[in-house]
Amino acid sequence: MTSLFIFAPFFLLVIINFPLGFLKGRCAFCLAASLLLAQVLLAAFHPWLFWSAYPDCLRQFFGFPLAVDNLALIMLFVIGIVALVSLLTAQDTLAGEKQKFNFINLLLVALIGMNATVLVTDIFSLYVFIEVTAMASFILIALEKGKFAIEGAFKYLMLSAIASVFMLTSVAFLLLTAGDISFAAVHHVLTNVPGSFFLKLAVGLFLCGLLIKSGVVPFHGWLPDAYSAAPSCVSVLLAGTVTKISGVYILLRLFSSVFTLTPALQNVLLFAGAISIVFAALAALTQDDFKRMLAYSSISQVGYIILALGCGTPLAFVGAVFHFFNHAIFKTLLFVNAASLEKRFGTTDINQLEGLGEKCPVTSVTSLVAMLSTAGIPPLSGFWSKLIIVMALFSKGRFIYAGTALIASIITLAYFLSLERRIFFNKGKPAPAAGGTATQISRGLNPAKNFSGIACAEILLAVFTIAGGLGYAFMLNTWFLPLKAIWH
Amino acid sequence: MSPDLAGLFSYFMIFIILLFICGAYCIAATFNMVRAMIGLELLIKAATLLIILAGYLCGRSALAQAIVITLIVIEIVVMVVAGGIILWAFRHNESIDPRKLSNLKG
Repeated sequence: MTSLFIFAPFFLLVIINFPLGFLKGRCAFCLAASLLLAQVLLAAFHPWLFWSAYPDCLRQFFGFPLAVDNLALIMLFVIGIVALVSLLTAQDTLAGEKQKFNFINLLLVALIGMNATVLVTDIFSLYVFIEVTAMASFILIALEKGKFAIEGAFKYLMLSAIASVFMLTSVAFLLLTAGDISFAAVHHVLTNVPGSFFLKLAVGLFLCGLLIKSGVVPFHGWLPDAYSAAPSCVSVLLAGTVTKISGVYILLRLFSSVFTLTPALQNVLLFAGAISIVFAALAALTQDDFKRMLAYSSISQVGYIILALGCGTPLAFVGAVFHFFNHAIFKTLLFVNAASLEKRFGTTDINQLEGLGEKCPVTSVTSLVAMLSTAGIPPLSGFWSKLIIVMALFSKGRFIYAGTALIASIITLAYFLSLERRIFFNKGKPAPAAGGTATQISRGLNPAKNFSGIACAEILLAVFTIAGGLGYAFMLNTWFLPLKAIWH
Repeated sequence: MSPDLAGLFSYFMIFIILLFICGAYCIAATFNMVRAMIGLELLIKAATLLIILAGYLCGRSALAQAIVITLIVIEIVVMVVAGGIILWAFRHNESIDPRKLSNLKG
């Protein structure tokens, strides 16, 4: 019944668009939230019987087969959690029923795209569903039609379309050389005829497209703009899943079980990863906008995943997926914190937010947890995944890259601690120079509303971060170490 | 493959490569968002033709056909969304010059 992950959001999309008034408001939200909750539970407690006990009668509507394995389950779990949190945030931050309803519709389209991306087994369907996801996210970024949002959406659209041209050309070459586009056929040809020029070209082009999509440093220009210009609830979704699934996950999937990782490709991935880590961490140091800083931090963390993938051992692959999981959780938490601050004070400018953090205790505590986890402080989940990545790099003899990863961790701690000090630890009144802005902000203060959705989301994700850190052994053994079997 | 057929394919290939160059030049040289979209369209068209050629050469014309039809649908959706975004950019800036889109920096 794997195809339910694609059909259930689709049916829900049809149902909530019936011309019945009562389905539009609260009801649509409840239905979508329960669907996402069901996805999280199914992926977390995956009783294997469910997948095989019933014949997948819906599947024959597709012309392509679907497959579910451990990697896909982890991704489905992450997608469910992040989309649920984004939905909760949207309920508190978006203005107007119509806007919220539009958001739910587009979220469901993006959900169809991402779930299918995770489950498909041939390269062209992969492209189709990346495009579905991307299309929903362009419209989501431009949801409020503001000046900056349109600009961010246009940049994302342009770069993403160029990436899809790369991928399409690669699909054509793969079809030419392999005669088929399923993962198995391409893998078969790549292992048997490794020297073919067209195959190398195809793999290179696909890699370029995916690196643009995942916002790795030479191609990162669109990412901070899109993240910071989008409405807060959409940046949560973008940072947590959309760009990660349509870029990084596909890199993980293709290079673990379809394309062979030649030494040249390893060097490209290692180099791109290391450059992203260092450059984006340094760029984050100089940012004055909370969401922009988080966007650069996101590029830097994606660098760790790419670096681990480039290392090319099963252990490094496990580390990459573990870091993917942790990053989705803690970066989503940070973006939810940004959404909470933006809702309450009307801005994400760090200079204007200075000293205001103590007014929202839940946000300050949870953001501290997320930041320490991002920087890799021991008991929290980010530490264990970074540890695995660095260990894998050391055992492969890549000492320079391992050192880079360690040093960049300190830069991460530096920019986040400076942020924490300015917004949350700065007790008492703002500096006199900022007095004018402080009164402006207090006028925009919105204490009457209670942000129950945002607070729930923050606490849920913080609990995940802490539990992931304390129970890392359990998670590694049950979820992540079995992934070694996927690696080639 | 007979010699005249091979000649035909070389013309086909040259045409595809020309389309790629046109599209890339169009995107690189213009300061007009609509023209950039047209350039993008040319690039996707070139890739579509390449898929048809690949499908024919490896004897999987039916597969190539299915792919190309799906591709045309996707491409139209991309262009419609792009058109909407360009329309709103025009409403905000009174211009479709992408150089005016420089509010976000850093």
